[in-house]
Amino acid sequence: MRVKDWLKERFPIDYAKFIEINENIFIKEPIPNHLKKWYYCTGATPLILFAIQVVTGILLTFYFIPSPEMAYESVRHITEEVTLGFWIRGVHRWGSNLMIITLLLHIVRVFFTGAYRKPREINWMVGVVLFFLTLALSFTGYSLTYNQLSYWATTVGTNMINEVPVIGHWLLVFLRGGEEVTANTLTRFFTIHVGFLPPLIVLVMAVHIIILRIHGVSEPEGYEKGHYPFYPLHFYKIIIVFLFVLCLLSTLTILLPPGLGEAANPAVTPSHIKPEWYFFPTYRFLKLVPLNVGIGGTALFIIGMMFWPFIEPFLSRDISKRTKISFIVASLVIILTLGFSIWETVVL
Amino acid sequence: MDTMKGQQWLIGIFSTLLIVILMILAGVEMKKTRHDKPEIEIDKTTAQCINCHERKGIAVKQTGAWKESEHAVMGIGCNECHQAEEGEFDAQKCPESDFLIARHPTPKDCEECHAQEVKEFAESKHAHQFWLLKNADRAIFENPISTRHGCEQCHQIANIWPDGSVGECDACHAKHSFSKAVARQPETCGECHVGPDHPHLEIYIESKHGNIFAAQGHNWDMGYATTNNEEIPNEVPVCTTCHMDGNETQPMTHNVSDRLAWESQMTWSFRTVWNEEESGDWQVKRGRMQAICKSCHAPDFVETYLLTADLVNLQYNEIRREIVRWTKKMTASGIIDRLEADGKFYSSPVLNGWDEEPEHDMYNAWHHEGRRFRHGAEMMGADFTQWHGIWEVQDDLNSIIKYAAEHGDKEAQKWVDSNHPSKFATYSLYDIPGSAWGISVKVNTTPFVYNNYPDYWDRIYANVEAAYQRGLLSKPQWEHWLERYENKDHYLGLKYKADSTFNYFKERNDIDFEKMDEQVIQFKLPGKPFYEK
Repeated sequence: MRVKDWLKERFPIDYAKFIEINENIFIKEPIPNHLKKWYYCTGATPLILFAIQVVTGILLTFYFIPSPEMAYESVRHITEEVTLGFWIRGVHRWGSNLMIITLLLHIVRVFFTGAYRKPREINWMVGVVLFFLTLALSFTGYSLTYNQLSYWATTVGTNMINEVPVIGHWLLVFLRGGEEVTANTLTRFFTIHVGFLPPLIVLVMAVHIIILRIHGVSEPEGYEKGHYPFYPLHFYKIIIVFLFVLCLLSTLTILLPPGLGEAANPAVTPSHIKPEWYFFPTYRFLKLVPLNVGIGGTALFIIGMMFWPFIEPFLSRDISKRTKISFIVASLVIILTLGFSIWETVVL
Repeated sequence: MDTMKGQQWLIGIFSTLLIVILMILAGVEMKKTRHDKPEIEIDKTTAQCINCHERKGIAVKQTGAWKESEHAVMGIGCNECHQAEEGEFDAQKCPESDFLIARHPTPKDCEECHAQEVKEFAESKHAHQFWLLKNADRAIFENPISTRHGCEQCHQIANIWPDGSVGECDACHAKHSFSKAVARQPETCGECHVGPDHPHLEIYIESKHGNIFAAQGHNWDMGYATTNNEEIPNEVPVCTTCHMDGNETQPMTHNVSDRLAWESQMTWSFRTVWNEEESGDWQVKRGRMQAICKSCHAPDFVETYLLTADLVNLQYNEIRREIVRWTKKMTASGIIDRLEADGKFYSSPVLNGWDEEPEHDMYNAWHHEGRRFRHGAEMMGADFTQWHGIWEVQDDLNSIIKYAAEHGDKEAQKWVDSNHPSKFATYSLYDIPGSAWGISVKVNTTPFVYNNYPDYWDRIYANVEAAYQRGLLSKPQWEHWLERYENKDHYLGLKYKADSTFNYFKERNDIDFEKMDEQVIQFKLPGKPFYEK
């Protein structure tokens, strides 16, 4: 008996229907012509990177031990002793960096093409949620290496949560598992990083893609109208992007492998505490203004970004004027983001 | 430009900027993760000092050492230690700026941040002024310029500064790195604890501790922090591990006297009373040391080893008692004279003297050989207890008695004329059945005193009991000794035979001697010698 028939007996579903659905959803998915341009693939790249993170992350958990005594040592073991451990760890670390960069590129592309506008406001908001979930994933992941830099970045990072009005202290104690960064914090961050955030991201990502599919990819003006099927052209394009990303991650891991740093020492506060580079804009902003202003300003920025599709219509009735204001605001935000990031990198 | 073009330009420009800038930032930050060394921030004043020192080439390496220090990491710059007030003893105007700087930061300066360490140090014998209190007599033998870079260099560790503070922190914590790893290195202690008078570094090198450290120590982190009652991170101790660092039960201390039970550097070994009000009596101090030993060793080993070392100290006293009896007697009878000027004596029949042989022997039997004998026993330096220790001390005593005989002392002459093998034990003895190392068959069948004095162990019992009653041994030590005494056939290995093993080596030995006799002793060259009467 052929395998196909054997399976049909065990799963007596309408295969013709199944193939039809598959063809409609994936194989023949109509891809707008403008996606033939490479730089319109920025949505799929974070997805590819997320998949790489899941695979490398699972491999890392084979050896990682989330306890204050063993965390640093197990990261050292992975990096120095486990076969190809340095590569897996390097790809995972660089993967998180590239995921944030590609998300920023995606956000820039979506924003300047006005793809957040009616009727796609909700999907913009879902995307913003995904961006902040990715930042949370990076923050919790960074803390797990348990070196002096990551330990103190975790301490300072969670300290900021304390400033959130009303629930701040409760949230801080909940995240840390107590008043201080201890073994409890490490196990919580590990659980959040491995067991909570990734499935949540998968769910939100599914919502993001479903909404995208329902509306179809928004088509910027100036391109030849029309569509082509997902398979084979776009499918192979994604495979090429995947291979390119993997090569890039490998190259970066070889040229700039992540180090181990100094083992965390809760008794010694370093004179310079810094978060990971993607928090530099916020960190620099917080240094420039009083703490409560900084926290309030950051919260306002997040709310503004989240609800921009609904805020924008209030700015002007004239659509081209509205676009101009949006472009100016976005340009300022990007320039400030880059400026603050460079500033924080070059100063001690 | 239409909207579409504008869009494309903005997306292109910002995407390129984001990729280029953020990839560079990510790369820079990733590179930083491989730096084990934390970054340091140099304040403006410190930067001014460093720039000028580097430009003028003055003590440039010291600024480099500072950059490697924890001080630099913590933001402690030049001024924090070197700031001075007008009128202070070491205030000096910097010739290149308007800074008033302190030439000699003292423990008073260190105390501002390291109050506990400075206090502990000041309560230790490292800070004690004994070398000044007892220096006048010795200073006649060594001229001042020679002691500048001699005695004074080491005893600077107890320097009394014009500001009233005592000590020299950088004697161990080399300036300006103030590295814990350097301070812990046995050679740092060995800058002073070396040589004929207290060869502690050499004793350590000879010990199993030192041997393992020499083989493996280069892989160890010697800069570890020793707070919070944590385990000793390394396989064997260095000097500081036992005398200063903490372990699971002991806090770390800069009071090196806190774990010492003897004043075994003195002319006589006596139980320490140093800083008793703060540190407790000698038993408390011994308890601290044992708590360190027991991080690695079994309690029975520790107790037996230290009790044996204690009995060596007590034995030293008995030999010393005999030496002093002879020098006193010779002084009283005029065989030797004390040094004297203006009614003040500069030598002592119980301590030292320089111009007559017995005085010199008496000094060496304490200050050099007597210390080696005792300290070797305390720190596993067998050769220092034996050949550099008791052998020399015994020889000193013999020389003193012979000198007395040569100068007409009848009692001494009687000793010289005696042929009895027990003539070298003119003093009372201490002993312990067996050793900490294990049970040794046959070893205890050889000593003359074991074989010729049936009451040997009764005499030893009485002496050890007397020492215990005098407070020189603790109750647990006495009980530990008694347990060995009551089972001495076991501990001395007397009830075990192992004759076949022993006889094998005896036969090999007989062959060796036979061959030595045949090859060399019975060999006579035919050519005549050149010198003839």
